[in-house]
Amino acid sequence: MIPNVAPAPADSPDPTSAALLPPAPARAGRRFSVAKLFTSPASTAGVIWLAAIVLASLTAPLWLPFKTEDQDFTAVLSGPSAAHWLGTDELGRDLLSRIFASAAGTLGTSMITVIVAVGLGTLLAMLAAAAGERVEAGISRVTEIMMSLPGTVIILAVIGAVGTNIPLVMAILGVLISAGIYRVMLGQAKSLQSQLYVDAAKVDGVSAVGISLRHVLPGLTNTIVVQAALIFAVGMLIQAGLAFIGFGPPIPEPSWGGMIQGASQHVYDAPWLMVPTGAVLALTVLAANAIGNALGKAPNATASHLPSAAARRQRAKAVAAIAAAAPTASSGEDEAGSKDTLSVRNLSVGVDSAGTGADTGNGVRLVTDVSFDVEPGTVLGLVGESGCGKTMTALSLLGLLPSGVSVTGGQILWNGRNLAAATDKDMEGIRGREIALISQEPMRALDPMFTVGYQLTAAIRRLRRTGRAETKAEALNLLEKVGIVDAARILTVYPHQISGGMAQRVAIALALSGRPRLLVADEPTTALDVTVQAEILSLLRSLAKETGMSVVMVTHDLGVVADLCDRVAVMYAGQIVENGRTDSILDNPRHPYTLALLAADPHATSAADMPERLATISGQVPQPKDWPTTCRFAARCQFAGSACMVPVPLVPSGTGEGLVRCVKADELAVEGLDWVATDVPTHRILDLVETRPAEARTTEIRTAHVEARPAERTAEKDPA
Amino acid sequence: MALFIAKRLLMALATVLVVAVLAFLLVHAMPGSPGAVSLGAGASQEAIDEVNQRLGWSDSLPVQFFRWLGAAVQGDFGISLIDGRSVSADLAGRLPVTASLAAGATVLSAVLGIALGVTAAVRGGVVDRIIGGVAGMAVALPAFWIGIIFVYLLAVQSPIFPATGYVPFEVSPRDWALSLALPVITLAVGGAAFIARQTRASMLEALQQEHIRTLRATATPTWKILYVHALRYASLPIVAGIALQFIQLFGGSVIAEQLFAMPGLGQAVQNSVSTHDAPSVQGVVVIATVVVVAVNLVLELATKFLDPKLRAS
Repeated sequence: MIPNVAPAPADSPDPTSAALLPPAPARAGRRFSVAKLFTSPASTAGVIWLAAIVLASLTAPLWLPFKTEDQDFTAVLSGPSAAHWLGTDELGRDLLSRIFASAAGTLGTSMITVIVAVGLGTLLAMLAAAAGERVEAGISRVTEIMMSLPGTVIILAVIGAVGTNIPLVMAILGVLISAGIYRVMLGQAKSLQSQLYVDAAKVDGVSAVGISLRHVLPGLTNTIVVQAALIFAVGMLIQAGLAFIGFGPPIPEPSWGGMIQGASQHVYDAPWLMVPTGAVLALTVLAANAIGNALGKAPNATASHLPSAAARRQRAKAVAAIAAAAPTASSGEDEAGSKDTLSVRNLSVGVDSAGTGADTGNGVRLVTDVSFDVEPGTVLGLVGESGCGKTMTALSLLGLLPSGVSVTGGQILWNGRNLAAATDKDMEGIRGREIALISQEPMRALDPMFTVGYQLTAAIRRLRRTGRAETKAEALNLLEKVGIVDAARILTVYPHQISGGMAQRVAIALALSGRPRLLVADEPTTALDVTVQAEILSLLRSLAKETGMSVVMVTHDLGVVADLCDRVAVMYAGQIVENGRTDSILDNPRHPYTLALLAADPHATSAADMPERLATISGQVPQPKDWPTTCRFAARCQFAGSACMVPVPLVPSGTGEGLVRCVKADELAVEGLDWVATDVPTHRILDLVETRPAEARTTEIRTAHVEARPAERTAEKDPA
Repeated sequence: MALFIAKRLLMALATVLVVAVLAFLLVHAMPGSPGAVSLGAGASQEAIDEVNQRLGWSDSLPVQFFRWLGAAVQGDFGISLIDGRSVSADLAGRLPVTASLAAGATVLSAVLGIALGVTAAVRGGVVDRIIGGVAGMAVALPAFWIGIIFVYLLAVQSPIFPATGYVPFEVSPRDWALSLALPVITLAVGGAAFIARQTRASMLEALQQEHIRTLRATATPTWKILYVHALRYASLPIVAGIALQFIQLFGGSVIAEQLFAMPGLGQAVQNSVSTHDAPSVQGVVVIATVVVVAVNLVLELATKFLDPKLRAS
């Protein structure tokens, strides 16, 4: 009857699972705002119901048709009638009057539980967060004990000692529940306490109490309101339950639980009696829960890697639409069918529009009009900063875009088939066997609950249909192939028992288990130590050579490109801005963005001519929803001018078969200009003297705005 | 692992001890001395004093506490002030009733809740919304109200199950099961809804993990990703949720026992609290705590065993 822990908001992960997860970025608290109460219909209805019932109960003496003890012997156990809207009980008392006469007491005493539970729980959490580990350990131990008590039995024993003093009993109930609230609040209070601005305040000599009140408490307000709403519901249910078993207010006084108890005696001859009180109680609890759940919902939860059945059905529809729209590519085998060649044509990827409707493509576009080819046995680098759509492009090759994101147009031609229009069933036959994936964070790419051996052998058996002994031998063989010396031992360990570099080797072995012809590597070295990076890169290089598979390498590191790639496609804001052979692009970059990336790369220049100051690209990649129809790089470009304020096509750059998307590419090449290390870019604008149209000026204002942020060495370190 | 178990055992012991002290103090705060309660209204002051004297009521609190604790450790909770029977014997007869009730309700909640929660997470869309709505309703409706409706529908309207009463397993296993059916279902409605929500949230979180993408990239069939890998990952919080649910259902049996007239621990608490029967209250509080703490301990160890990181260390 008594929940020993506050019911967690439906969508928040349980604290016990936290042990499995890598430390999540500290989420700063959320502040409560009244507007949030009205974001969902259920919560709006809940607020209206609660307001109505509070108003009705407070004004009850003014409008109630009967006194609670008035007995109407002409209408005993009657259903709803003109005189008694909700019927009468066994003594002919009016139900409507009794329900609302007792409402104020029920709601009020439930608030006592809320105030004690949430107040004490929050206070303890703030104290534990502020006072350091030992105090926290002590408080946590005590709350753990409180949470493992049979609360109902204890409350009844309390009633035995203090009698049916409802306010006091509800207060003690609040103390018992506060342990659960503390558990919910502690994590948040600690993350707020560890924010940088709190450290700064500490240095400034703000007292611990001041910090708790000024910086921690405001961040907890949303959770406080969520928990208060949920505990309010719990309090009402428990109070009704106590009254039901005879520990309610003294007899003639009505209470909801007591009325249901009375009704239960007449379930044989007057079942209606159950309905009004039960409905009012249930609706009030529902209202409080609806408010709590609406506020507690985590905003923009990470997308699922395996969309639900409903989402998959929707995606299948969208895929069918693409298949219908695209020219019959699969038939033109002679055109694009050369073996193991990947041809991406005009690929677009977008966020599904908010409405659940079938009109995909109305959402924000993340990748627009991307085309490239990967010849058999070659390595293509996809380069750019975070948020340029590299990873989305790469994942679309395997049909593994996260839920809520899908291919909205174009073709992915692989061995004569258009993968952009392939069903998930078809893709299952291609993933692993023909196209494999290595992802950025090896530790998270392996299932923490299963041994390396289980994961590897399951994949080998599935993808190669081998027998048991053969599978084991092949697993050992693969691990040795990726440079693991004690392969037999590694097979028996769990992912958390090996290092990041080792995990990435295992992940590569896993990717090779189906003998793929194309390997998609999504920043395979970003999360690793520098020394390990080099080892993994040389492993990938030798594997590509040995197996003859082609590789699509997503990276932000031009060193990796120079090292490994035959061709490069430079991406900026969802577009390819330059594309060509690696040597010609590195030696002779044509697009300002490529120039900037090279100038900002600490490895690209030799030690001798290492500049005193590394160049930066001011500002950030714009959000996909802010991408202009004109040149998307103009706002950050040192060479931008009015000529850039037009849609820019990808055109032959003049060097080899390279392509570039810049109206000034030729001009830059002729002048031989370099991206310079300065925070004030606009002086280098070529056509400074030109009078500019209004549109260009707004662009500049935006540039200036971006400049106000501290300059970042964006290209050097890719935080994602 | 051994250290972990030792720590947990110590915590469990501490919990029971805290409750023992609490129960003892609460009982001493009850109105009326044992003599007055035992002899009832109208007894002479001399008679009351005589009983109090015999029970050692005038001794100091610590002396009384350790005398009581010493006996309790050996399984003797004294004599009921109301009917003069041994409290331990009475509780021993009641424990199986509540245990079958709570265990049955927990198992049913877990099975139903996991099935519904997984379905909601996996199917998504309309199915998810329907399950979410039903679970929301089930959490909001008080168990005693649901119980009465079940009695009305399944015992009065169509007499499938007995409305009240309990038949011991030794008498007739079939009647035992039938007599438990309605109370177990009544308690399981709320429990299943709670576990369904927990399961749904844990499954969705599991499906957001990056290793799910690796599994898809190596052509793992969808059923295997869902029911082997994701469910395995989600199992930790789900088992933790079931442990919480057991505590709640054990307490919830007070209402179910009252509603279905079952001679369990819950009924004993209610009776002894109403009649100020101090030894009975003490006994039942301690026994209930021991059961809850023990089950919790087992489920917690199960959770740790499910986690490879903790198992290895």
